[in-house]
Amino acid sequence: MPAIFTVDPRSGVPIYLQLIEQVKRSVAIGALADGEQLPTVKALALDLTINPNTVARAYRELERDQVIETSPGRGSFIRANGAGASSKQAVSAMAATSLDNAIREAKAVGLTRTDLNALFEDALARWFPKKENA
Amino acid sequence: MSTISIRDLTKTYNATPAVQDLSLDVEPGSVFGLLGPNGAGKTTTFKCMLGLAQPSNGTILYEGEPLTPARFETLSYVPEKSVLYDWMTVGQHLEMQRRAFARFDGKRAAELMNLFSLDPKKRVRNLSKGMRTMVALVMAFSTQPEILVLDEPTSGLDPINQRAVLNLLVDAAARGVTVVFSSHQIGQVERAADTIAILQRGRLLLSGAVDDLKAGWKIVEGIFPDDRFAINGIASDPRVHRVDRAGRIVRLSVEREAGAVGAALQAVGAESVREVDLNLEDIFLNAVDPKSEAGAYLEAR
Repeated sequence: MPAIFTVDPRSGVPIYLQLIEQVKRSVAIGALADGEQLPTVKALALDLTINPNTVARAYRELERDQVIETSPGRGSFIRANGAGASSKQAVSAMAATSLDNAIREAKAVGLTRTDLNALFEDALARWFPKKENA
Repeated sequence: MSTISIRDLTKTYNATPAVQDLSLDVEPGSVFGLLGPNGAGKTTTFKCMLGLAQPSNGTILYEGEPLTPARFETLSYVPEKSVLYDWMTVGQHLEMQRRAFARFDGKRAAELMNLFSLDPKKRVRNLSKGMRTMVALVMAFSTQPEILVLDEPTSGLDPINQRAVLNLLVDAAARGVTVVFSSHQIGQVERAADTIAILQRGRLLLSGAVDDLKAGWKIVEGIFPDDRFAINGIASDPRVHRVDRAGRIVRLSVEREAGAVGAALQAVGAESVREVDLNLEDIFLNAVDPKSEAGAYLEAR
């Protein structure tokens, strides 16, 4: 059972959405490999002490998003094809939202476009040092 | 069809209503959490559900029919107050349960005794409040119930045993058992329940699927260029439950369609709008009208 899943029941984000996000993120960064088996609904529900219907809902939506496939009697698995692409897309969307929130906050406290540009360049320089300019 | 369907339930004790016009549906296989402070009417609702109290008005149906003796066999109830006999041992209580319930599962009982480290030879009088609760839970879970009704099942337990009890609920739900439980600890309900109802002074304040409530309720915060802004009709929008203003910021508690309410704020000049997620406790606090009795209760807290 991958210990990479955690949920915060006290968060305002519905638990099934937290799970979906974590599975997609794990796939995108390679912590969950193609074809890897996910815990059963019951096992994950007990492990995290959350409602089994909530886990089942997350799995249903992951299946609809073509991240996992479920075969009756065998369990749920990360899809061999396509899981990576749709997960990467989901994670970039999360990053875009975070960036958007940061810009909105900065704008609200009066930072200008030039200020933000400078901040952004600084951050980029830290994350992408000159050597690996790719 | 709902496993349990409560319609217009009213129960009055000496002209004082304990529950008023309560309607709820518990769907098959769901874990239904009943929330509310002491005196909200949770225990009275349970008693009416189990036929231990006669409703003053309204109906309670199980899969469309009134509670029958056959249905009662498949139902386990753990009351809030211990109903164990002080002079009997834990083992004797289990023996009593075995004789009373044809569906008693000795193997399951032994598993649960082990899980909670309970000693069958101990007399109830020598048990702590938490251990008594666990004995009652072992009795309830060992009759292969199809419906579990648990009144404050985690009260008096330490955090480890609280988690063990919540896991029993999760396990039961995974086996298809329908669970109704009450708690005044919102965090536990938020974890184990898929559906909740919040009672306040005998009345239903809020109910729904936990995920839907969280997806629907938001704080919509708008920041205006200065503090001389007007939000026109937005305050009386039926989706908006509360308006808090401070300086050039307005915060709206919105029940649904936060996006549309945010757009309305932008239309009256907000230069920045954001949505903040709310957990169940926040939703509860925001659903309460500060001018109502419930609001007064929260103020006083």
